[in-house]
Amino acid sequence: MRNISCSHSKGNKMNSKYNSVEDELEMATVRHRPEGLEQLEAQTQFTKKELQILYRGFKNECPSGIVNEETFKEIYSQFFPQGDASTYAHYLFNAFDTDHNGSVSFQDFVMGLSILLRGSIQEKLNWAFNLYDINKDGYITKEEMLDIMKAIYDMMGKYTYPVLKEETPKQHVEIFFQKMDKNKDGVVTIDEFIDCCQKEKNISKSMRHNMNCRGITNDSR
Amino acid sequence: MAAGVAAWLPFARAAAIGWMPVASAPMPAPPRDKRRTQDGLIILNVSGTKFQTWRNTLERYPDTLLGSTERDFFFNEETNEYFFDRDPDIFRHILNFYRTGKLHYPRHECISAYDEELSFFGIIPEIIGDCCYEEYKDRRRENAERLQDDADTENNNDGVLPDMTLRQTMWRAFENPHTSTLALVFYYVTGFFIAVSVIANVVETVPCGTSPGRVKDLPCGERYALAFFCLDTACVMIFTIEYLLRLIAAPSRYKFVRSVMSIIDVVAIMPYYIGLVMTDNEDVSGAFVTLRVFRVFRIFKFSRHSQGLRILGYTLKSCASELGFLLFSLTMAIIIFATVMFYAEKGSTASKFTSIPAAFWYTIVTMTTLGYGDMVPKTIAGKIFGSICSLSGVLVIALPVPVIVSNFSRIYHQNQRADKRKAQKKARLARIRVAKSGSANAYIQSKRNGLLSDSLEQASKEAGQALVSKTSSSFERQHHHLLHCLEKTTNHEFVDEQTYEMSCMEVSTVNQSGSRSSSISSQHGLTATCCSRRNKKTFRLPNSNMSGSRPGSVQELSTIQIRERPPLSNSRSSLNAKIEDTAQLNCDQPYVTAAIISIPTPPVTTPEEDTSQSPDYSQSNIVKVSAL
Repeated sequence: MRNISCSHSKGNKMNSKYNSVEDELEMATVRHRPEGLEQLEAQTQFTKKELQILYRGFKNECPSGIVNEETFKEIYSQFFPQGDASTYAHYLFNAFDTDHNGSVSFQDFVMGLSILLRGSIQEKLNWAFNLYDINKDGYITKEEMLDIMKAIYDMMGKYTYPVLKEETPKQHVEIFFQKMDKNKDGVVTIDEFIDCCQKEKNISKSMRHNMNCRGITNDSR
Repeated sequence: MAAGVAAWLPFARAAAIGWMPVASAPMPAPPRDKRRTQDGLIILNVSGTKFQTWRNTLERYPDTLLGSTERDFFFNEETNEYFFDRDPDIFRHILNFYRTGKLHYPRHECISAYDEELSFFGIIPEIIGDCCYEEYKDRRRENAERLQDDADTENNNDGVLPDMTLRQTMWRAFENPHTSTLALVFYYVTGFFIAVSVIANVVETVPCGTSPGRVKDLPCGERYALAFFCLDTACVMIFTIEYLLRLIAAPSRYKFVRSVMSIIDVVAIMPYYIGLVMTDNEDVSGAFVTLRVFRVFRIFKFSRHSQGLRILGYTLKSCASELGFLLFSLTMAIIIFATVMFYAEKGSTASKFTSIPAAFWYTIVTMTTLGYGDMVPKTIAGKIFGSICSLSGVLVIALPVPVIVSNFSRIYHQNQRADKRKAQKKARLARIRVAKSGSANAYIQSKRNGLLSDSLEQASKEAGQALVSKTSSSFERQHHHLLHCLEKTTNHEFVDEQTYEMSCMEVSTVNQSGSRSSSISSQHGLTATCCSRRNKKTFRLPNSNMSGSRPGSVQELSTIQIRERPPLSNSRSSLNAKIEDTAQLNCDQPYVTAAIISIPTPPVTTPEEDTSQSPDYSQSNIVKVSAL
């Protein structure tokens, strides 16, 4: 990845936690250019044309070439106006930000999308596991699951039918753990996860449905 | 949702995979995208400047011109692009709206031009982005005010409409003194009397020398009590009459009574009447004296006469919050300093600062840097605080004053601009009028020339000469043809103003005289029969220019013609003005016929134009004319 930055010292640190004026200025002047089209094509399952379309949409929304967490949250929240999507967006952001540098470049973006849209069920489930595993230690604990569940329910907002109760996320987590945690050790590993999901009819059907959405890239112009 | 974010929707949908393992129920089937339009570049040619964008960009907003099928109307097949004959500079902003979802308003563009472009492309201005919305609204408001101003002044400056009631005329005269001489006289008279009244009030109190038998000087008011009383009575009578007249003339009496100026009027004359009513009782004489103070309000009546005064009043009203702040902060400071000074001077003997309210006077005088010197601090502490007081006074007063000043200056300049616009408006309206009458006259002129050329053509054909015809643009020709068609439809003709006016005058004089004594009226009488025969139809008169242009044979008739023609063409011009005057028109026919007859080659030309009217008319009238 080539970062064109006006400040040499702080080359890779594009953390949004910086507050000083110079850093903000630096953030504004940093430009990110993705890898060449061919390389991206090799790394992902998209064709050149699709990559072009994706990049145009990406660059339109983020002219600087990278998405930081704030922008990501903003964009994602626009799709869920009734509720608060920021927590879930945070987890999603971490899932996309594979090299954990605090920003999502086009490369990250497109590789994530490639898995989600064009990957095998295994790869997708792997990605989902990665999403749930907040601290990326290979295990999903009940607390992590609860956090994710709460975030998902937050997106629903207040006005739901039936009315959302406090225990609903907890109950949901219990159900999930009962299904997934085969050896009842309190955590779900990747194998247990993939195993269970492939067996579950609902989940595999949904995944396959999603696979049929090849038209997604065409929509994005 | 912003348009740009739509590009991320597929991503959000893809990310929904994250929900699936924990979903309580199976996911619904995804929607089938029926419309699989291939994306492609669209070329938009706006007056030569080529813009290109993706088709999908434009289709983000399907209820605008560019986003809907409406743009197909502008498609140019040969060049395979969409051509718009509009301003490319403004179009740039419109296209940016499609791209970014935000509409910006460029400050240097004229607001009406911008609005026009927006409405052409079907974009509502309410979606202008926050960054530019304020500016846009301000400019729009200014424009609307200006237009409203123009409309108002136009309504006010309209020539006297004959159907205005007396009441309306009076009101107009009161509000705009320049509309008639009587109004102006009234305006000056009232102004004079206001001045007289005010001066009398002032002079009344001047000591006028002693009257015999008294030691002290008497004020003039008491010495010449009767004279002053008479003067006062006269002024109050004038003011009362003025007020009553205004009250009668006001279109909305309730609103008038509530207006500031009328309240001032009432307050100005009430003391006199109250004084008349009250007897010279000792108890109430004090109150009576107070009432006389209100007579000074008469000076406010001058604000009807002075625009500057009105602006000042308006400024003060609009700066009410700043003035309030000034007052509040001064009060605070006064109380603080008065307290401090009182306690500082408490120790000093024979101090004038007997109480805090007493110290108020000192504080005010010091803060406004007046410094009368009737109360001065004697202790050192008092002097220190006194100096702090005077320094801070300057600051506190100086702060809100620039705001008030700038407000005044803004309103004053606005007024000046409005006046300038009004003055320019006269010139502008005159230009418009000239242009309008120019085009109308152009038609009449072309008709004459057409006739002239026709007749010349005839003449030249007879003489075997070539004719040079006057060239006019195709637009003009088509426009004139249209007017011609209208003439044919209504069987009336277009004429110019002077001829119409003269005909009106002629008709009125003829109607007044009503006798058959004069030759004209005899002719009138003779042809009156014809008139009655042809009640509704009037026919055109070939044109007024004949006298000058026609050679020799018409000369002897030219004098008659001159007299006859004007009425004729005037009657025609009534077409332009009011239809209800056609009655007049009918009676003018005799004149018409006379003029027609005077044309040497009429039988050839008039029938061409005058298909409805038979030449026999002219034939019969030839006799009459020659009888003249």
